[in-house]
Amino acid sequence: MTELIERDLTVPRSPAEVWEAVTDPAWLETWLADAVTLELWPGGEAHFVIDGEERTGWVEEVSPPPEDAAAGPARLAFWWTVGDQPATRVQIELTPSGAGTALRLVESRPLQVLDLVGIPLPGHSNHRPGPALIAA
Amino acid sequence: VSEDRAGAVFGVLADPMRRRLLAQIAEHPATATELAGELPISRQAVAKHLSSLADAGLLARERSGRDVRFHVTPAPLSEAVSWMTRVGAQWDERLGRLSEALGDGP
Repeated sequence: MTELIERDLTVPRSPAEVWEAVTDPAWLETWLADAVTLELWPGGEAHFVIDGEERTGWVEEVSPPPEDAAAGPARLAFWWTVGDQPATRVQIELTPSGAGTALRLVESRPLQVLDLVGIPLPGHSNHRPGPALIAA
Repeated sequence: VSEDRAGAVFGVLADPMRRRLLAQIAEHPATATELAGELPISRQAVAKHLSSLADAGLLARERSGRDVRFHVTPAPLSEAVSWMTRVGAQWDERLGRLSEALGDGP
């Protein structure tokens, strides 16, 4: 049972430009949500209004595009939830691709079965629950 | 999930090994023997944990030759499929808007 959604997109912009489009609230309000608060540090607040529905959460990882592309993708990860629904994790990764940028979006419910019954959801940089996380 | 059911489930999941077993079976159905091969506990201990998880309604049993294979109960699974369909469609729309704003990809 793999509970995740993956989408890939390539755009003719630099990783730095795309990073702005996925982290700057003014940009996010053009494509993701009607209102956005996003504190760009681990543990920061994430708050969205989408079609009149409030989503609250927190930021897990903020890794802007590295100067050396070999250092790995830029990555933004946050958790969000609507009301008392199970929290889900959203991850956006940016990798240089030719003259543009490849964007990979993953939304996952790593511990949905546990969350469903009220076990607190810890955050983790890996979207698959590893044994260490489960045993924690 | 009723409160009684949630209470029973919470009790069962209070054990780290049972949480670990549930996560592994959620990835792919398995028998007690297979799971014991991957974990530092005996097959008997694994079987006992699996019975607790099944009693709480989190796992279902399925005959597999002479063995019993465990899988997560169908309810969360079909719920997962509907979640992936619904949320996937939302991302298609959002990323369509983003792609348009940033110019079409090569």
